[in-house]
Amino acid sequence: MASHFSGVLQLTDLDDFITPSQECVKPVKVEKKQGRSVAKIQIEDDGSYFQVHRDGQRQKLEKAKITLNDCLACSGCITSAESVLITQQSHEDLFRVLRQNKVSSSEQKVVVVSVSPQSRASLAAHYGLSSSEVARRLTSFLKNLGVHHVFDTGFSRSFSLLESQREFLERFSRKEVDKKALPMLASACPGSCNQLCDWFSTTRSPQQMMGSLVKGCFASQKGVSPQKIYHVTVMPCYDKKLEASRPDFYLSEYETREVDCVITSGEVLKMLEEENVSLRDVEVGHLDTMFSNVCGEELLGHAGSGSGGYLHHIYKYAAKQLFRVEVDELTYKTMKNKDFQEVTLEKDGQVLLQFAVVYGFRNIQNLVQKLKRGKSLYHFVEVMACPSGCLNGGGQLKPSSDQTNKELLQQVEELYRGERPSVPEQDSRVAELYQSWLESVGEEKARQLLHTQYHSIEKNTSGLSIKW
Amino acid sequence: MKGALELLQRVSAHPDARCWCVAWSPSGTWLASCGGDRAIRIWGKEGDSWECKCVLDDGHQRTVRTVAWSPCGKYLASASFDATTCIWKKTNDDFESLTVLEGHENEVKCVAWAPSGNLLATCSRDKSVWIWEVDEEDEYECVSVVNSHTQDVKHVVWHPTQELLASASYDNKVCIYKEEDDDWECRATLEGHESTVWSLAFDPEGQRLASCSDDRTVKIWKESTPADGSSDESWKCVCTLSGFHGRTVYDVAWCRLTGALATACGDDGVRVFKEDPTVDPEQPVFFMSAHVPKAHGQDVNCVSWNPKEAGLLATCSDNGEFAIWKYNSDS
Repeated sequence: MASHFSGVLQLTDLDDFITPSQECVKPVKVEKKQGRSVAKIQIEDDGSYFQVHRDGQRQKLEKAKITLNDCLACSGCITSAESVLITQQSHEDLFRVLRQNKVSSSEQKVVVVSVSPQSRASLAAHYGLSSSEVARRLTSFLKNLGVHHVFDTGFSRSFSLLESQREFLERFSRKEVDKKALPMLASACPGSCNQLCDWFSTTRSPQQMMGSLVKGCFASQKGVSPQKIYHVTVMPCYDKKLEASRPDFYLSEYETREVDCVITSGEVLKMLEEENVSLRDVEVGHLDTMFSNVCGEELLGHAGSGSGGYLHHIYKYAAKQLFRVEVDELTYKTMKNKDFQEVTLEKDGQVLLQFAVVYGFRNIQNLVQKLKRGKSLYHFVEVMACPSGCLNGGGQLKPSSDQTNKELLQQVEELYRGERPSVPEQDSRVAELYQSWLESVGEEKARQLLHTQYHSIEKNTSGLSIKW
Repeated sequence: MKGALELLQRVSAHPDARCWCVAWSPSGTWLASCGGDRAIRIWGKEGDSWECKCVLDDGHQRTVRTVAWSPCGKYLASASFDATTCIWKKTNDDFESLTVLEGHENEVKCVAWAPSGNLLATCSRDKSVWIWEVDEEDEYECVSVVNSHTQDVKHVVWHPTQELLASASYDNKVCIYKEEDDDWECRATLEGHESTVWSLAFDPEGQRLASCSDDRTVKIWKESTPADGSSDESWKCVCTLSGFHGRTVYDVAWCRLTGALATACGDDGVRVFKEDPTVDPEQPVFFMSAHVPKAHGQDVNCVSWNPKEAGLLATCSDNGEFAIWKYNSDS
């Protein structure tokens, strides 16, 4: 099965030699017999095993058999957990829920789809439309299929940007006392290296922020239980599917995930093709304004990179709040390659802020090494697993036969910028939600809704895992 | 034109372990060996015999698979199954560990220095090839990570004059890499071997590439420039040496001084091939000039020609030994 994941998240431990995994789901089935006797095992010359009972009776033991089917269903051996989670999340799943809604009136789910700006731009390039036109037609298409609400993760991104700004300031203030406070790394990308999680921002990504909004705020406003909501997000990559499956985003109280299903831009295209529909032919609909970053019939975006603009927003905010410097335009200095850039705030020859953009596996590797050796001088780094960032994600639509990757990417970027930037601090609806929803649930609950935590996965070294 | 291989010395270099690799320093005066005992040993000639001058046994946690000298001779790189590559700097009589390159997910199989001395390539069982750059302050940084192979990558080698890299893999293929914009990418894939390709060697001029494989053959490849002037790069196999090796061919080395081709084989033999000078170089013919059937008691893992002394050859084996040979083309 071809891996669609960014280079940073790979199938590890897949190799020529298959060693028994400690996580194998097919342990030897033992028929438990009541009694306190200790079994004796005798090994015959031909290699067969006999259990010798207390009364002298000998019983030949069955060999444990593992078939390929068992292994494909397992998470610890031949396949890795990721592949299994993927098959559970696809546009097929969305179709299944929509079909179920039509058939059974008792098992009805409220279907909400949240679309990312990067996916819109990708579809826009494919169909020769603007991002907002894609939004309006996609809304109609999805609602015709039975989807109830179509939102825009640009809206939840405003929350991510605001929280990131505040978090940065807080960490900057304790940098002398806490050596691990800085650099702060953007954590919106789930493909970012495991080794970097000590420095990750705890602010939720726009996808998971929308999860909080939909299964929290929306659910309570509509008087619907969170498990009755089926929340789908449309994202530019496959790694977002793994993010949605993280246990931290599972609401155990309601036995439901904050984001039930993630489909890629490419999978939306598949849906349109399966329905024999071209987005150009779908009628233009009205945008759902509740959780969308909208102005009239146009969707708004954010300034900065195509990966969310974290560096841009945090830099400007920090420059103003910490040093009273108003930054109009940021100057990006390209370093070793175009996916590695620096932005520096200097005053009277002194470096006040040193920020960086680090995209792609090779640059992340160098950052990891610098951080491990304590040689990083950055205050904030916008880290993304994909070269050129989210607009070039693994789930975006591929170029047509007469277009190069580079040409397509440029086109997608232009369409992405076509959504005029909004300023999160000036968004009245965001401010209103902070007051009405977040403040009403109390500080601790609000923190849970806006932030998350990261756990470094320790690799188990044991004799079984050594590859000879 | 029959030649011969004369054994000069046999050394038990890595007792109770495999000796995986031997590498001559650019000056030809030192021989580095490494093996399953996690150590690197540096050997120098004293009188008529090779003596151990230095032992580097605290650099790696697992088997050292390949050692390679920098073109200037001042640095040594060692690739290990512990997933790291160590860079050693030569001080007066010793070597000190300068830095450790991390990043590969599992066993690093090979390391190679570019002739310019600024670039280093490593490859691993994690299927990737990494290109590193070293700056004036001896700081190493990753330049590119290329994932062109679908299996374990066994060997990487640089072109003698151009900034071009080749890799060999368990996926039976050879990949050729060039730098494009700010990134390295695979420009050509050489298919033809029917099993794992274990090693590669460029000819002295860099016009041809030799590959050796588990399919018991050695193939010679030549870059062909299409007649229609299109920029499609392709390499064609212009010669296959088959029927000579009884088992897997683990290593191949092309002598810079004489053009002779030496091979290390799983049948414990060492062989030297010479090119028939009367034949059209576009369709070369190689004949076996020398053969020692039981050169070692076990598999021969590596073969290396001395860069300064014509005909001087080092080989090493699974039994922990290395051997020094003198090759004469007419005997």
